[in-house]
Amino acid sequence: MTLRQNISTSISRLAVSAVLLVAALSAHGQGKLFAIAKDSVPLLNGFAVSFDVAGPVVLALSDYGEYEAAVRLNLHNQYFPIVEVGYGMAEHDDEVTSMYYKTEAPYFRVGCDLNLLKNKHSANRLYAGVRYAFTYYKVDISRPTFQDPVWGWDTGFSVSGDQCNQHWAEVVLGLDTRLWGPLHLGWSVRYKLRLAHKDSSAGNTWYVPGYGKYGDTRIGANFNVIIDI
Amino acid sequence: MKRHKANGHKPGAGRLQAAAMAAMTLAAAACSSVDCPVQNTVYTSYGLYKAGGERDTLRDTLTIATTRRDGTDSVLLNRSVNTTAFELPISYTDPEDTLFFTVGDTLGNVRIDTVYIKKDNYPHFESVDCNISFFHNITAVRWTRQSIDSIVVNKQHVDYDASTEHFHIYFKARR
Repeated sequence: MTLRQNISTSISRLAVSAVLLVAALSAHGQGKLFAIAKDSVPLLNGFAVSFDVAGPVVLALSDYGEYEAAVRLNLHNQYFPIVEVGYGMAEHDDEVTSMYYKTEAPYFRVGCDLNLLKNKHSANRLYAGVRYAFTYYKVDISRPTFQDPVWGWDTGFSVSGDQCNQHWAEVVLGLDTRLWGPLHLGWSVRYKLRLAHKDSSAGNTWYVPGYGKYGDTRIGANFNVIIDI
Repeated sequence: MKRHKANGHKPGAGRLQAAAMAAMTLAAAACSSVDCPVQNTVYTSYGLYKAGGERDTLRDTLTIATTRRDGTDSVLLNRSVNTTAFELPISYTDPEDTLFFTVGDTLGNVRIDTVYIKKDNYPHFESVDCNISFFHNITAVRWTRQSIDSIVVNKQHVDYDASTEHFHIYFKARR
């Protein structure tokens, strides 16, 4: 096992442990983590739309990023089934290696969050959740002609419109807080685990829309502006 | 839609807001890393063997060269002695590599063999941080028989992993 795999495994265990710890603490304090309290709040308690701010900021500061929005149902302020739709893009022309990479495609996530706070009907929420996500995308990868360092022959490399796809799962830990009226701000940290993938014909890919850089696992974060409706 | 009254802001709300702002700051600070494997060169690995299968040591001087595009020679292995194994580069995209094995003994006798390695070539993209590599599938090998008796392809696929020898070379019996 390589050093990178070891580090990745450690981070993975840490993230999963943190989520389990929070869930366990919450369950211990409350006693009934999954039970729906009998009170005046209805089961279907509205829905919220949200927009991720972090993705466009990352896109503005680097060569990749995404625009993302979500619709989240509110079931008794406790369960939040959610659909997230985004559009990820990357275009990178490396100054050192001269490698060019471009992709853009939509991605989709479905899942559910669970409010971990003891007071479910608070204006703030601490939640944990899971997601299933997938994207189908095309990549352009190329490098200008260069010479074989030993034999001296000109060598070119280019793939265009290679069909790729990836399916992954996410464990989400996040919180949001009410700023004013229906307006909430919140962030979430996501541990992403790749389930299945089809890479380019030339080997790996680099940026996967919605997932981030290529790899078995990734840690991601969203910062959401949320509007209760 | 009917909205239920929230409990209002409590002391914990301030902490949650501070945490939210901190998260936004962290998210804005994009981080970068280089995603190249440590072992990112593509070489072919050769091992010398006797007819019985045991490891052979070539005590004579072994020099291996090839011809570049411009017609000049490029030495790949220079005057190696007591050779039991060695590694050689492989061309990125040529369909066949031609290698000249020159074996010189202490009496001044020089024998030159030509080895032809036929292969398929595949570009391999690892990351934008890494130079493009070419992997290969060896499809055939042929050789002249001045000092080389035979060459066996032990592993067809050539990639970053050169720990398994790609070729077993059997030199003719020497004094």
